[in-house]
Amino acid sequence: MYLSKVVPTSQSFAIAIKNTFEEWLVKDAPTLIYMAKATIAALLAMFVSMTLTLADPRTAMFTTFIVMQPQSGLVFSKSYYRVLGTVAGVIVSLLMIGAFAQEPKWFIAFFAIWIGITTAAGVKYRNFQSYGFVLAGYTLCIVALPVIEQPMEIFQIATSRFSEVMVGILCATVVSEVIFPRKLSDSLLSSERERFENVFASLGNISSLFGAQDTKDVDVVKFSSGVVGVHAIAVNSAFESATDKRNRLYLEQLNLEFMHLSTTFHSLKNIIRDIELRASTSTVDALKELYTPFAKVLQSIPKLDDAGFVTMLSQLKELKESTHSQVPINLKSDEYDAFNSAAYLVTRVVEEYFIYANSYYAYIKLKSSGKVSKELTRVVRFKTHTDNVLVALAALRGSGVLLVTMAFWLLSGWKYGTLTITMSVVIGLLIGTLPRPLDAVMNFLKGAVSAAFVAALYDFYIVPEYTTDVYTLGLVIIPVFAFVGWMTTKPKWSGFSLGFVFLFFSQSSFDLYYKIDPTTFMETTIASLLGVSFAGAAYILVNFWSCSLSQRRVSKVLREQIVYICNAPLNLQRGSLESLGRDMIQQFSTQGRLNNRSSRLVYEWLLTTLEIGGAIMRIRKNLNRLEAECKLVDQTLEAIKEYFQTPTEALKQTLLDSLESTIKSLHVKKKEEIHIIAQLSLIKTILLSRVSIPVFKEASCR
Amino acid sequence: MPLDITLYGIQMPTLLPIFVIVAILQVTVDSIIAETGLYRHVWHPGLFKVALFVCFFTLPCLYIYH
Repeated sequence: MYLSKVVPTSQSFAIAIKNTFEEWLVKDAPTLIYMAKATIAALLAMFVSMTLTLADPRTAMFTTFIVMQPQSGLVFSKSYYRVLGTVAGVIVSLLMIGAFAQEPKWFIAFFAIWIGITTAAGVKYRNFQSYGFVLAGYTLCIVALPVIEQPMEIFQIATSRFSEVMVGILCATVVSEVIFPRKLSDSLLSSERERFENVFASLGNISSLFGAQDTKDVDVVKFSSGVVGVHAIAVNSAFESATDKRNRLYLEQLNLEFMHLSTTFHSLKNIIRDIELRASTSTVDALKELYTPFAKVLQSIPKLDDAGFVTMLSQLKELKESTHSQVPINLKSDEYDAFNSAAYLVTRVVEEYFIYANSYYAYIKLKSSGKVSKELTRVVRFKTHTDNVLVALAALRGSGVLLVTMAFWLLSGWKYGTLTITMSVVIGLLIGTLPRPLDAVMNFLKGAVSAAFVAALYDFYIVPEYTTDVYTLGLVIIPVFAFVGWMTTKPKWSGFSLGFVFLFFSQSSFDLYYKIDPTTFMETTIASLLGVSFAGAAYILVNFWSCSLSQRRVSKVLREQIVYICNAPLNLQRGSLESLGRDMIQQFSTQGRLNNRSSRLVYEWLLTTLEIGGAIMRIRKNLNRLEAECKLVDQTLEAIKEYFQTPTEALKQTLLDSLESTIKSLHVKKKEEIHIIAQLSLIKTILLSRVSIPVFKEASCR
Repeated sequence: MPLDITLYGIQMPTLLPIFVIVAILQVTVDSIIAETGLYRHVWHPGLFKVALFVCFFTLPCLYIYH
């Protein structure tokens, strides 16, 4: 009896251990591997640069930590831009020292201009490109400032700086490629699968569209950053291998199609929410009836395997053809328009889901068997938009900090003033590209202070006490490297770890020979920390950005988009509009100080802009196809343009009247006219509904 | 071959220009191999690439330091 009790427990115990182990393998093992990789790369960089007797091995070690990323593609791409940035910075340093070594005023002026340009470019560009500009800026500080008294040493410093960076980059890339390489394309596959399954689940669930909705659950920033982020990863995976070009095309295509689908879905959701509030239940029921067959098809697929996909796609194809003909319903004016536009959106959801699922299936097949079932011809370019005022502000801050710290250096005549300048410029450049810069500076300061203590411990106790050669040095330094590696895996700690890495590697004495004394250590530490404080002060002082300003800028850009679409060439692609909008919203939500409520509002604006813009495009295309001229429609388009140029209540009324009369005047005979009516009623519904159009409102900022 | 060379009046270790040339060579060879699909038959492409680079880089280095 005793035994019979024990056996099942030990079995379940074994299962528990197995599960725990598997979970550990998925969750914790990558972190450990990453820590090991970062440590090995840094040690390798130290050994190599010490063997080659480079002037400053710490730069090489520092570089490995900066470019080290969990996936090899990211390491390659960051390294590439780091090399480009370093080369640009070194060349500019040579030019500046050559031209202005004897003329401090000109030197400072051009220095400030260069820092301004690189800061602006750092904010304007995305991903690691922006990092390249950051580096071009601060390499100038590192190379040119220390030699300003002895200009002839510049070549020495320039070549050694370049070699150190190269050694660091090589060590990081080799280690990340050789030891447990993790491919970006693999993680892209899994994130793509997750995304598709999410879409599949939420479209199959009718209550996600109809019924009471919790408005808070839409994570707006995440929604946009999903699209922008996947695009970024796909771009970076270009560095991994040349064979994946076709994969990348697929990913871009999938991203685009997902973007379209999610826009349509969310617009539909907004309109249905509005209809539920205003219109009768019969309209809602009719819409439900329209949507149910689609949801049923999705629900009937038990598993997303090969067979599941084939049945789903064929059923959807049938459904797609039948949904078109089910629209006619006789309702009264406004309600009819609302229903008509919602029904139109339903057919679009079905259509776009079909396209998306098709591409996804083709992608999965390509991944598993290498067979190409759907050839991709062209991909819409992912457009970005950066607000020029944000960029100008960053440039102003960068140059301003440089001038102030430069003045501090010149007035105090302090030998280590250059360190203050370098540190503040680094922060101005580096943190300007991160979300919520002020918090990041604070974390940077915390990291820097803790690094100072750790560096002191190493410099004055551990290194003189325990190390005799490069091997023992490598041995005692492992804990710090592992700690830094662990920190960089935690996004929450990004500011702190940056500060720690920067100060630790500038203050530690891991040189060819031991050459540090307490006075110098104290002075350089104080100089660096002063630099951090200067930069932090700049973020507090030069920051007149506000929520309402962000809203104004966003609404202006969005309205300009609509006006532009009214006159744009007819082959303008929807994808470029959407990617631009999403990229902009993403940037404003991270840098433009939008609170939750207003970022939700801005997101609604984006959706309505995209819908109205898309509707205008389709109207214009149909008009083009319709041979006869249609004056009323032209007038309506003109009214739309006027309203979005100067949004006033009077113009809105004119626009609504014009829409009303145009919809009535069109005959439901030709296919094109039916399309135009659907689009016009969509615009009308959006204008009448509670969903906001991009017009600035002060109230949401409070 | 000398250990240091002077390029436009700047003295630098010969390894530096060699490295740049080898890096360009490596990128070209890598893209050729990727085009022909040879990497699919290699167990560890990363290691293979590194080994290739080491071969390319060591040959001129041996010549210099001989």
